[in-house]
Amino acid sequence: MGVAHSHSASEEVRELEGKTGFSSYQIEQLHRRFKQLSGDQPTIRKESFNNVPDLELNPIRSRIVRAFFDHRNLRKGPSGLAEEINFEDFLTIMSYFRPIDTTMGEEQVAQSRKEKLRFLFHMYDADSDGRITLEEYRNVVEDLLSGNPHIEKESAGSIAKGAMMEAASVCLGQMEPDQVYEGITFEDFLKILKGIDIESKMHICFLNMETMALCH
Amino acid sequence: MERGAKEKNHQLYKPYTNGIIAKDPTSLEEEIKEIRRSGSNKTLDNTPEFELSDIFYFCRKGMETIMDDEVTKRFSAEELESWNLLSRTNYNFQYISLRLTVLWGLGVLIRYCFLLPLRIALAFTGISLLVVGTTVVGYLPNGRFKEFMSKHVHLMCYRICVRALTAIITYHDRENRPRNGGICVANHTSPIDVIILASDGYYAMVGQVHGGLMGVIQRAMVKACPHVWFERSEVKDRHLVSLKKRLVSGHFIVSCILGTCINNTSVMMFKKGSFEIGATVYPVAIKYDPQFGDAFWNSSKYGMVTYLLRMMTSWAIVCSVWYLPPMTREADEDAVQFANRVKSAIARQGGLVDLLWDGGLKREKVKDTFKEEQQKLYSKMIVGNHEDRSRS
Repeated sequence: MGVAHSHSASEEVRELEGKTGFSSYQIEQLHRRFKQLSGDQPTIRKESFNNVPDLELNPIRSRIVRAFFDHRNLRKGPSGLAEEINFEDFLTIMSYFRPIDTTMGEEQVAQSRKEKLRFLFHMYDADSDGRITLEEYRNVVEDLLSGNPHIEKESAGSIAKGAMMEAASVCLGQMEPDQVYEGITFEDFLKILKGIDIESKMHICFLNMETMALCH
Repeated sequence: MERGAKEKNHQLYKPYTNGIIAKDPTSLEEEIKEIRRSGSNKTLDNTPEFELSDIFYFCRKGMETIMDDEVTKRFSAEELESWNLLSRTNYNFQYISLRLTVLWGLGVLIRYCFLLPLRIALAFTGISLLVVGTTVVGYLPNGRFKEFMSKHVHLMCYRICVRALTAIITYHDRENRPRNGGICVANHTSPIDVIILASDGYYAMVGQVHGGLMGVIQRAMVKACPHVWFERSEVKDRHLVSLKKRLVSGHFIVSCILGTCINNTSVMMFKKGSFEIGATVYPVAIKYDPQFGDAFWNSSKYGMVTYLLRMMTSWAIVCSVWYLPPMTREADEDAVQFANRVKSAIARQGGLVDLLWDGGLKREKVKDTFKEEQQKLYSKMIVGNHEDRSRS
């Protein structure tokens, strides 16, 4: 590579490689991106994501940003938000979007898949109680449909209700007339999304630019 | 020479992969439908509703932008994946290795000491032949012979000029080449476009009056062939009228180059006018391959002569020219819509980004509408069908 690594830096990289599963080349690229976002600081805060103008286009922007600071995603605790994250945390979050390595064993693949789905579950479950309630569901629907002046609030509510009913029928089967459906737990979530090809829908392909022309 | 130059480059140029991630350009609808299809198959009828999985798409898009956003990349000239040994295209110049530097030095030597004098000589020959030739032809009496001579003088000189730049041009679909009585419209990246087009066909040109060397050439050319050179500030109507007359008489092809190289309201107006005329328009898409030489002219930075020198000291100018099938204005279209249609066809062919006419459209405005579009699209998908269901 063009820039020489110092000894300790490459050790760190190897450690990160082991923890997150990215290759050293990818880690380098992401580090560059991290520095860009953080303005060369060692940590980034929520405000740093304001530097990504294209993110404004995304209706669930705030949820995505919050996911970066969520303790559950950072594996630091059952709930709560961090104030700022360092590069290792950044990589941890990014690792949820790594393509699943098909050479891994079946168990590992299943584990990987579960991790990705858990990430999404946390996006819905804002209050970290382990269930997606009707309220939370409705909030997500509203977010996704926000900005459209033709949709009234009630539509979002009714859509959410309809979806919850369907989810309930999948998870609980026929419901008693007075049975109340508490909310979608993570197991229910997995059940509903069984069969979805998350392997291909929730990963980001890194360009293999390692074959770039650099002579040694 | 060119083959040698090709060998010096190490990797194939892959257009549109910039940045560190490969973005999947599927649309919102496609992707959501696909996600749903692969999911629960209980609803085999295609009534999209909101489902848990819809969030995937937005989540992924968001992550992609965080990893690598378009904005910082969009306005820099295209970055090559491998370095083509021209220091002007190496934006992150670092000392990489001794071998590469030596190769680069060798390249500089060849380009400046060997190729450049050759090309200057050719260019000189070409231009002077053009000026002399067209002046001489100008003295001939008007008639078929004059036209014949004029055509050949023009073609010959342009071909010499093409060689002077070592432009390697690949023409596609030559059966769609513009014919008499039509207007040829092309996208305009650099002044070389003119030379490239004109070396493959005999055109009467429409363009701005320039000073200096260009002015001399223009004045000479106009003696042999009725090109139209107009001043920026002049009123365009009478030119349009003369253009119309000429087209009707079926004499010449008029080449009118669209583009943002000249950004000037009167020129824009004139371009619109040329779509109103009602003649057949032959769109042409020109695309440069930056691997051998960057044809982009930053007119605020470099003058004409500097630009030409840069061109001549590159390895080569490689470009592709696509002749698109002719288009005519439909009955219910106005000139602007027709112009946009032509422009999209050209952009699509060349793989270029289709920007709106109004160069002054601020980026903020574009973004807002795009965001709303996305959300409207998504919500239409869901709510529209939801309403249908509740009604049934």
